[in-house]
Amino acid sequence: MFSRLREANFKITTILFGIVLAVFIVALLIGVVTHTTPKALIDSLLSGETQFAIRLSLITSVISTIFCIIVSVPAAYALARYNFRGKNILNTILDVPLALPPLVAGVALLILFGTTSFGKGLAEAGIKFVFTPLGIILAQFFVNMPFMFRVLRSTFQGINPRYEYVAQTLGSTEAGAFWRVTLPMSRNGLMAGSIITWCRGIGEFGAALMVAGSTRLQTETLPISLYLNMSCGELPLAIAAATILIVISLVSLFIFEKFSGFAHVF
Amino acid sequence: MVRVENISKNLGEFFLKDVSLDVADSEYFMILGPTGAGKTILLETIAGIYSPDKGKVYLNGRDITRLPPRKRNIGMVYQDYMLFPHLNVEQNIKYGMRSRKLSKQEISQKVDKLANLLGVAHLLQRHPGTLSGGEQQRITIARALIMEPEVLLLDEPLGALDSKTRIKLREELRRIHSFTHTTMIHVTHSFDEAFLLGSQMAIMNNGEIVQVGEPSEVFRKPNCKFVAEFLGVTNVFRGESVIANGIAYININGLRVASATIRDGQVYTSIRPEDVLLSIKPIESSARNSFKGEIQDISDTGTIVRITVNVGVPFVAAITRRSFLDMGLNQGMEVFLTFKAVDVHVF
Repeated sequence: MFSRLREANFKITTILFGIVLAVFIVALLIGVVTHTTPKALIDSLLSGETQFAIRLSLITSVISTIFCIIVSVPAAYALARYNFRGKNILNTILDVPLALPPLVAGVALLILFGTTSFGKGLAEAGIKFVFTPLGIILAQFFVNMPFMFRVLRSTFQGINPRYEYVAQTLGSTEAGAFWRVTLPMSRNGLMAGSIITWCRGIGEFGAALMVAGSTRLQTETLPISLYLNMSCGELPLAIAAATILIVISLVSLFIFEKFSGFAHVF
Repeated sequence: MVRVENISKNLGEFFLKDVSLDVADSEYFMILGPTGAGKTILLETIAGIYSPDKGKVYLNGRDITRLPPRKRNIGMVYQDYMLFPHLNVEQNIKYGMRSRKLSKQEISQKVDKLANLLGVAHLLQRHPGTLSGGEQQRITIARALIMEPEVLLLDEPLGALDSKTRIKLREELRRIHSFTHTTMIHVTHSFDEAFLLGSQMAIMNNGEIVQVGEPSEVFRKPNCKFVAEFLGVTNVFRGESVIANGIAYININGLRVASATIRDGQVYTSIRPEDVLLSIKPIESSARNSFKGEIQDISDTGTIVRITVNVGVPFVAAITRRSFLDMGLNQGMEVFLTFKAVDVHVF
């Protein structure tokens, strides 16, 4: 009887920890959203500056996500399917941006694209990354690529290569089998990967700040807007940006969970 | 005709060692072997999924060793179906038709014909995930046959099915073969399948082909201990064979067994349990081998009863249930075993 009670106590204690954590998180979010009056919030949301930030964030994050897909699909496929010399090293290197502090990633990008002859050459050819929206896309791409890559790699690993073998005996080339069989079968993984990459792109701050700077109405994404307005005391505008970021995160999380089974990648 | 010549392939865990094989046109060829024998990678090498480290594959005299799978016209059916889950049954069956220059109408005629042949016409709009194992395997066969392959490779096609479905689909395979005359190479670890479907059979072990022949031939005359044991041939003994007066006498643990196969030295012998006559009294016959012993064990498998008699070594005789009851056999009873010298197989 006594031990039964102790067991129940243990169960209740662990559950309590979970509840306390959840309450903490919810309280934080509600605190942000209710910090100003609803009218001030709506006015700020409709202000030109916030509108600009929303648009810039959406455009840069969508483009950087598309680039992540384009690059990660073949790379993830190669590392899921083939055995070759140096595969382990390649796998590790491709994960590096994940472990790197975004500020460091930003500095590295800034040095490569701002100071080397490679970066200067690109700039002379009209492709300027430093202090431009293009730099934001570059930063988001670099920092978030590993997320896309990892989700896709694990998705491809989960698909039996024999599907492709059969497709090849039915007249497909290797690439054809990939397009007609493996890629459609990876739909859920692709969706989950895109959503998490996009969501993180929207929130990307440190690396983007280093490469693209924080110029009002030029490289002002939602997080940059939050940062700028916070530092000059424009609280309602800062809260507006934060509120949008919270909404986007929650919706993305919800959609990501729908394509479940991929959360284990992280 | 498929000809595999001295193929070697090392995939680490699985490998092939110097495998050679000839499969005649329209043959139903069985490959039998335990798990890990290399059966699947042999099929996959024939299909062109792997290119061999060494050796050649010929199809109708043409060297196809370096040809990609799509140019071989060899069909493949796996144990776990590998139906494309994002396509419905009809789209699965006609998947390969994109590489053929046929009109929509011709394709749908072909799909209908095969769907009818395999009895899956009512499933065309369903998705594979909603179907039973037997239904799925019929669809994979249709999907392969629509290409009119010169060879159809079947990798344990009945392995994942329940026993009732397995028997049904086994008959189906026999029917399809007699109907299409497609050359079939069928991998299995079930001897029943090999015996009932195959006109030729190869036994594989450890990445090698150990014996090839007609199933009944292989069954009667296993060429090594592995084949004998793998096929469940009982009464496999090791002994010293001595030739005297044109007949071989094999000394098995003191038991002197006459064999028509003349070979001296250390040999293995096998005597099929159904070739051993069991009687309560000694019988006068032309059979050279007759031994007295005590019943050690009785194992009733339904229609056949297997009796283990100790005649110096444990010897198994198979008798019908009817004669078992007629003779009123019991454990511990003394009986006689009689068998002919020609039934003593030596290897």
